[in-house]
Amino acid sequence: MKATIERATLLRCLSHVQSVVERRNTIPILANVLLEASGDGAIKVTATDLDLQVVESQQAVSVESPGAITVSAHLLFDIARKLPDGSQVSLEAADGRMTVKAGRSRFKLPTLPRDDFPIIAEGDLPTSFAMPAKTLAELIDRTRFAISTEETRYYLNGIFFHVADDDGPVLKAAATDGHRLARFTLPRPDGAEGMPDVIVPRKAIGELRKLLEESLDGDVQIDLSASKVRFSMGGEGGTILTSKLIDGTFPDYSRVIPTGNDKLLKIDPKTFYAGVDRVATIATEKTRAVKMALENDKVTLSVTSPDNGTAAEEVPASYSSEGLEIGFNANYLKDILGQIDSDNVELHLADPGAPTLIRKDQDSPALYVLMPMRV
Amino acid sequence: MVQIDSPDIESDEDGEAAQGGLRKIIHVDMDAFFASVEQRDDPELRGKPVAVGGSSGRGVVAAASYEARRFGVKSAMPSVTARRLCPDLIFCKSRFDVYREVSGQIRAIFQRHTPLVEPLSLDEAYLDVTADINGIGSATRIAEIIRAEIREATQLTASAGVSYNKFLAKLASDQNKPDGLCVIRPGEGAAFVQSLPVRRFHGVGPKGAEKMAKLGIATGADLAAKDREWLAAHFGSFGDYLFRAARGIDLRPVRSSRIRKSVGGERTFSEDIHAPGELRDTLDRIIDIVWERIERNEARGKTVTLKLKYNDFRIQTRARSLPRPVEDKVMFAEAARILLEDALPLPLPIRLMGLTLSGLEGVTKTRRASAADQLDLF
Repeated sequence: MKATIERATLLRCLSHVQSVVERRNTIPILANVLLEASGDGAIKVTATDLDLQVVESQQAVSVESPGAITVSAHLLFDIARKLPDGSQVSLEAADGRMTVKAGRSRFKLPTLPRDDFPIIAEGDLPTSFAMPAKTLAELIDRTRFAISTEETRYYLNGIFFHVADDDGPVLKAAATDGHRLARFTLPRPDGAEGMPDVIVPRKAIGELRKLLEESLDGDVQIDLSASKVRFSMGGEGGTILTSKLIDGTFPDYSRVIPTGNDKLLKIDPKTFYAGVDRVATIATEKTRAVKMALENDKVTLSVTSPDNGTAAEEVPASYSSEGLEIGFNANYLKDILGQIDSDNVELHLADPGAPTLIRKDQDSPALYVLMPMRV
Repeated sequence: MVQIDSPDIESDEDGEAAQGGLRKIIHVDMDAFFASVEQRDDPELRGKPVAVGGSSGRGVVAAASYEARRFGVKSAMPSVTARRLCPDLIFCKSRFDVYREVSGQIRAIFQRHTPLVEPLSLDEAYLDVTADINGIGSATRIAEIIRAEIREATQLTASAGVSYNKFLAKLASDQNKPDGLCVIRPGEGAAFVQSLPVRRFHGVGPKGAEKMAKLGIATGADLAAKDREWLAAHFGSFGDYLFRAARGIDLRPVRSSRIRKSVGGERTFSEDIHAPGELRDTLDRIIDIVWERIERNEARGKTVTLKLKYNDFRIQTRARSLPRPVEDKVMFAEAARILLEDALPLPLPIRLMGLTLSGLEGVTKTRRASAADQLDLF
């Protein structure tokens, strides 16, 4: 293989794929990226961790001799970062080495054969649909914070996607860690009907979100089966992320979304957030509970800590049901309030031991459920 | 062009002395604990081969008296095998309430000498006596006093190992069992480890030892001859531990409030298994072994995880969280069996099966309170 590529192009490619590569690898080839130069002048860069694979295609300046080779992802990325801006990089593989030349620099890197590089077998991906990248990015932003990191409940370590018929056909995405739940609903894209329920793992979500940031104006093509999903973005010669799906059953989360909570609190999320944040200063590492006392058009936030004393703050609000005292984990509450881009948020409450529903308003695509703490 | 490593490892950054001076660590281990308690309480059993555990078809030996060990009976061995090795073996039902009571007595003795006590289970603990409460100063002397106090209070014997880190102290307590004491002094650690078979290293099981044998490693000296990279290449993250252990180095502090995250166990089979009946039998055996550990560690958790390693080395785990902490063996076994049934039929034969109980309730009160205060959606 011999090809020449703009340093900026190489760097962009590698920055997209290298975070897929785990820093500590027991299988040597997983530390490498696969470089493929083809006769039509394209260069393709692939990284994988066996569960997740990202492929990016870019135009090379020239391909003198087509071929493929694998080299250390982090080494090549670090080299590309340090090469002078505007330079052209020549990549030439021969005799088990790859020579990287740019300006007056020359590197000889060890390689591993391309045939040893594992490629995820996608199999049939019968469900195909597209959605604006912006929508998918918002869906991820609104739900990913609730993804569980507890590995014993591995089936919660991702975002759950499924289609349903509510008032009309919809696609829903949900994430939960057992204490809080975030759900995002959008009209069902054409082609998504009959889609199997899937759980996209957390790492894939993180990488996907980064890639989306660079192509927010376009559409994302999504192809999936019950075991794999592929996201293609950036149009022709763009980036393709393929991931295995979590093999597990997501709990029937709809039954924990309260429907009959009759106590409605309306409040400015920013003032509320700031108040919770201030009183939580007193909270110790272990007990993050903030108590909310709801009275007529007023919320009193308070924290009592055996070690650090007490804190209280009143926040104006709209509330006309009977008085109620309820506690929440301050961080969970802040996570949700931080998602509301409006000057009003609704909290639908029942009692201090029941799930609370939180949303911007009844038209908002995002909905949150938060379980209280005993205080 | 090559960075030369310092030949004197003790002065290397890995060494004990470089990390803030030498400590005085004692590892105390009761001799054949459960079995000894049974022999103490029933004079008929004294001098006879005794095993604690279920004698029925699928039971395992939780502990064996020294008389039984002479026949090759070991803990975690299927009772059937034990009976074959020693036909006169007397089986006793375990009495965990009694073991817990004795365990409380010995912990009280430890506490009289140092607040830095790290119990590993009901019958063993690490003590850091670098600054002992009574100002005795000599760790060997303290170990002798503790052994005498345990004998006085419980009529049971304990073995103790004294050294300057946990790894060596544990090896030492094993050295002159039962009713023995062994001291590994500063400077002797590396030499002591040299002659040791790798199987004696904490964390090296039968399969690990087999793998090492294939690589030509039989003793600590063989391990010490390998460099860090080589060990990492063959044993992954375990390699680092082996590198240090082979030089008698262990910097882990004695943690008095160690919070266990999980209790579990697993077995690698000599032959891969696939048939549902065989899988169920194996699971029952592992349930016995792990439940015994759960009892021993006084653990209470909510999540049961089944681990399967297929013959292509792919690992699958299946977990089940219960609405409340596991209270008894029936509840634990039930959860484990459901996990296995859900996994059947298996796509491939398996080479390993394991069970873990996690989501344990914390040791301290504040943790327990805070864990319970957050209510669950599911």
